Amino acid sequence: MKKIVTIIVLTLVAVTMIVMSAIPTTMATDNKPAIVLKSQIPGDAQFGPLPPNATNEQKLLAIQGDFDIYSWNTFIALNWPPGPDGNGDPNKTIGQYGDNDTVWEHYRDVSDIFLAGGKKPSWNGPVTVPTQCKASYKPGMRILSQVGKTPTVLTDFSQPFNTGPLIDQNGNYTRYEILVNKPMFDYILQNTLYSKAGQKVFSGTVKFPCGVLNGAEGAIMVKSSWKVISAADKNRFHTQTVLVYSPASQNPKYPASCSTKLMGLVGLHIGHKTNSGAQWLWSTFEHVDNAPTEADVANKKFKSQYNYYNPKCSGQNCTPNVVPPRPWNPTKVSTFHSQVVRMNMFKGNEFAFESAAARNSDALKLLLGVNQNSVWQNYELISTMWPTNTGQCMATPGDPLGTPAPNFLANTTLETYIQGMVPNVSSNCIECHNNATMTTPVPSDFTYILQRAQ
Amino acid sequence: MTTNAPPSEATVQAFADMSAALTGFQSSFIRPFLDPVNLSGTFYEFAVAQVGQSMMDALMSAFATLSSQSPPISPQQIADSLLEVTSATPSNQAQLCQAIVSMWYLGSWYPPPFQTDGLQQVISSQAYTKSLVWNLAQAHPMGFSPFTFGYWSQAPASLETFGVNTGNGGGQ
Repeated sequence: MKKIVTIIVLTLVAVTMIVMSAIPTTMATDNKPAIVLKSQIPGDAQFGPLPPNATNEQKLLAIQGDFDIYSWNTFIALNWPPGPDGNGDPNKTIGQYGDNDTVWEHYRDVSDIFLAGGKKPSWNGPVTVPTQCKASYKPGMRILSQVGKTPTVLTDFSQPFNTGPLIDQNGNYTRYEILVNKPMFDYILQNTLYSKAGQKVFSGTVKFPCGVLNGAEGAIMVKSSWKVISAADKNRFHTQTVLVYSPASQNPKYPASCSTKLMGLVGLHIGHKTNSGAQWLWSTFEHVDNAPTEADVANKKFKSQYNYYNPKCSGQNCTPNVVPPRPWNPTKVSTFHSQVVRMNMFKGNEFAFESAAARNSDALKLLLGVNQNSVWQNYELISTMWPTNTGQCMATPGDPLGTPAPNFLANTTLETYIQGMVPNVSSNCIECHNNATMTTPVPSDFTYILQRAQ
Repeated sequence: MTTNAPPSEATVQAFADMSAALTGFQSSFIRPFLDPVNLSGTFYEFAVAQVGQSMMDALMSAFATLSSQSPPISPQQIADSLLEVTSATPSNQAQLCQAIVSMWYLGSWYPPPFQTDGLQQVISSQAYTKSLVWNLAQAHPMGFSPFTFGYWSQAPASLETFGVNTGNGGGQ
């Protein structure tokens, strides 16, 4: 009997050791920052030592690496399974059961902050449920209504600069949502910036809180993009069964409608104001099947299928990154399918590409170490935009943009039509958001959401 | 443009130091510690493609000699010497210096008189938006502003914060 118990105990120890070694919790070496499987949202980026006698390119590569590590740690923490308080539950692990509920999905949706009549919102208040969705709505269910990321009612139907919607290879419109974390919500609440009336009497400078390294997180905005998926594709996406709402439209004319859909996450854009990023740090992630790169197209190196590109496209509508022809009707399946290509926006900033590739490889190992079937293995960091010239939680006078690196950055699901390298026209998170104001002509600290106040 | 290997870090830094003396801007502004735009490298390579490596090497050598003098002379004196400000008929090398000053201030290449086949051209979109004339004016170019809405209602930040060397050696 004693021998059997000993064998069982030894077997259990051996199995435990195998499981533990298969789940590395850190890839840290020395004191350099590293991607880690932790539920704690990093308050800021951590910087490792620069190589001695480094060239400009080497310095940028090293620091870009630190910011990309910060981005992955943020992605991991934001997509961590939440506990009852909404924060990441340290007793669980991202992707341990393949997919999981996430921390950021419990943030406050902007449509529940800027309420009709300028009513005061609350962090745990009721969700705004459109009439057409009420029959299908169940508590805790999410409602996706935006057909573009631009947070103004008039341009809900298009991406930035009113360029247009994004339609997947099945003819379904991509949907978007914007959520904010508690520190950002609290700042809006405390300064009555949730209403036009409150903004009108606000006399100071809008200054959201900055995150602190090894301390509190700052203001965080999360923009996500979703596509309708079939049950067969569920194991490749982070999914949610949500209510997809389309408000009524006059041109083209269609009534408001709401339906329950299985949606897969295709893009995640995270803006976080931190001490090292007074202009905010902009981390952008995408599903790995979204679109081929410019180089892939030139070399005809394709995957069998993409979310937003058809390798076998022929005839009309094969020109990449073209805005869908009007009329735009998200309530119908479109015959037009967006043909999206990721343009190379890192010319002269090749360090950004090199750094993201290395960090993606590191993160993939960690995520697969948790579970070979983790849906999170199907997401990749495109890059992190950060200011190279900035003060502690404040911009440097004379250089309010902080000379961002890389110079340009786009998420193909959120800025499909403004990819490129032309200043003030092509996608640059910091440059664009620097133009944001409230409903009054007062700068709103790199966020457009305050324009939603009623 | 030639397709030669990019210039070394030391070469770009030396070109930035010379450009700082010629323009009256701070060297740390012309070539910041972290420089994702890298106008120094772009301008160096552009100028070499226009006038040839040997002419650029000769100019850089002249700058190295002036900047290593003992006792040291000021950036203003170095600029005056390279630009041959007292000469009514500046040499080709001094004309190249003038073209480099124009390149930094206006983001464009204005061919020096000796470059008879040269074309006037904007060097790049970044060269346009980051040309020094806007910093000197504490303003911004048409079509691109780094400032937030309503900036015009406030006094601009100081010239120093715009990178201008207002100490010994600036303001020419």
